[in-house]
Amino acid sequence: MIEIDRLSKTFPARGDDASVEALKDVSLEVREGEFLTVLGPSGCGKTTLLRIIAGLETFEGGDVRVRGRSISGPGPDRAMVFQSFALLPWASVVANVAFGLELRGVPKAEREARAEELIELVGLTGFEKRLPGQLSGGMQQRVGLARALAVDPEILLMDEPFGALDEQTRRLLQEELLVIWEQSRKTVIFITHSMEEAVLLGDRVVLMSPRPGRIVDIVDVPLDRPRASVVDDMAGSAEFAQITADLWRRLREMQLFRRPAREAAPTIGIGA
Amino acid sequence: MSSAASPSLQATGGGSARPPFASLRSRVGASPWTYRLLVLAVIGTIWEIYAVNLRSLLIPTFSDTLVGVVTLVQDLATWDAFWKSNQSLLFGFSASLVVGILAGLAAARFRSIEGFIDPYLNILLVTPMAAIIPLLIMSLGIGLESRIVIVFVFALPVLIVNTRAGVRQVEASLVEMSTSFGANERQIWRKVLLPGALPAVMTGVRLGLGRAVTGMVVVELLFVAVGIGNLITTFRGSFDPDLLYGVVILVVIEALILISIVRAVERRIAPWAHGTVLRE
Repeated sequence: MIEIDRLSKTFPARGDDASVEALKDVSLEVREGEFLTVLGPSGCGKTTLLRIIAGLETFEGGDVRVRGRSISGPGPDRAMVFQSFALLPWASVVANVAFGLELRGVPKAEREARAEELIELVGLTGFEKRLPGQLSGGMQQRVGLARALAVDPEILLMDEPFGALDEQTRRLLQEELLVIWEQSRKTVIFITHSMEEAVLLGDRVVLMSPRPGRIVDIVDVPLDRPRASVVDDMAGSAEFAQITADLWRRLREMQLFRRPAREAAPTIGIGA
Repeated sequence: MSSAASPSLQATGGGSARPPFASLRSRVGASPWTYRLLVLAVIGTIWEIYAVNLRSLLIPTFSDTLVGVVTLVQDLATWDAFWKSNQSLLFGFSASLVVGILAGLAAARFRSIEGFIDPYLNILLVTPMAAIIPLLIMSLGIGLESRIVIVFVFALPVLIVNTRAGVRQVEASLVEMSTSFGANERQIWRKVLLPGALPAVMTGVRLGLGRAVTGMVVVELLFVAVGIGNLITTFRGSFDPDLLYGVVILVVIEALILISIVRAVERRIAPWAHGTVLRE
């Protein structure tokens, strides 16, 4: 579905800042209908990777192909959900959900009917006329999700979509995302810095490491689908704990490795 | 004049205390007009007492001034003078609306235009306008043209500054989001940048209008004795302080009406920009 072939991206030096090698030789194949989560510490280039796939960022080396064709910018086959929600503050919920369709020239009646379906899907019926400023963070991201789904993309790109939400809201939205995804089976690339989130949602977890940003491992998540109805049992299972603990151990090593030498290797272990 | 960044924030005053006179207000009634008329009555009373005691030829009483206002309104010459003055406001302000907003939009999005406009904008912002009026009169004469140019120059900087700030404050993530959904530059302008900048642009229009009215009166008062300025000069010379003050009050009323119109337009086309930080 998506082939990323030896992708490299360097942000040029700017002022006093040296140039940053955001991605180096990143190769990855995303399967059709797969829920792929990308996990890594900050600065590992995971968001840059997603933005390149979305067509929002250029790159120097390598290639990104969707269904065999190299991408050269944003396309109707991909839609993005943003960490900051990125809703138009002056537009109602309906208008925000329909915004992608509006940009594509879909007539008003048609796009609003479509928006209405998705508003129902994400559980915002009754809030159609509200402005984003009148909604909670969780509701705003539901709008963001509905807007991305409204254009019926083949690929859903999610950039830490629940990162700005509180723990309880995040859990609810994770469950709902699973429900929606299990019905539609779109290809999803989901960026996160939470081990639990990566394992809970993903079929595979791509583990990235910083400086330069590269893929260090791709971990299969052997948990059964559908998961939406058994999230609580699953999150409490030994298997789940095992995978997340293993991911954390490796992430922690990456971070410790980056510390100055005299600070490294704390004598008191952090209980695993 | 650089109140562009977040004009609405200034009104809040911060703090978490109960608004003053909250209990008073609940007794008097919620309409702001109650306060407004109350303030007017207090000022009028103080003015009346002061003027009656002073018995000056130069300071009319509040009641005499009100009579003066009525007299002026009934006189066709007053309307003629206001029309003459307002021609410069009409043309000068319209021109500065078009030029100021377009220049502000361009400066916000294109670095080259910003670099070109910025020094001139700073000159316009820091130069005392009254100081350049004589230069303009000398080069353009005392006709309508020079008055139009002066109104234009008075209003222009705040329009540019506020429009530019308005576009700049639109979140980059919204532009990025639109791009990711396939928006082209024209769509980004129409559906994101312009609606996002609208509240700040309207603030600029309001401030610019205030400055345009100032420019209109100042030039007539100091350099070209026509219209309203001529009325003021004449009544000052003929020791008619009630009429003199009456003219000033009429100018204030005109300015208030114009600003209310702009506010009404603003509320209609940018309703989301209101009441977000104002406390009840």
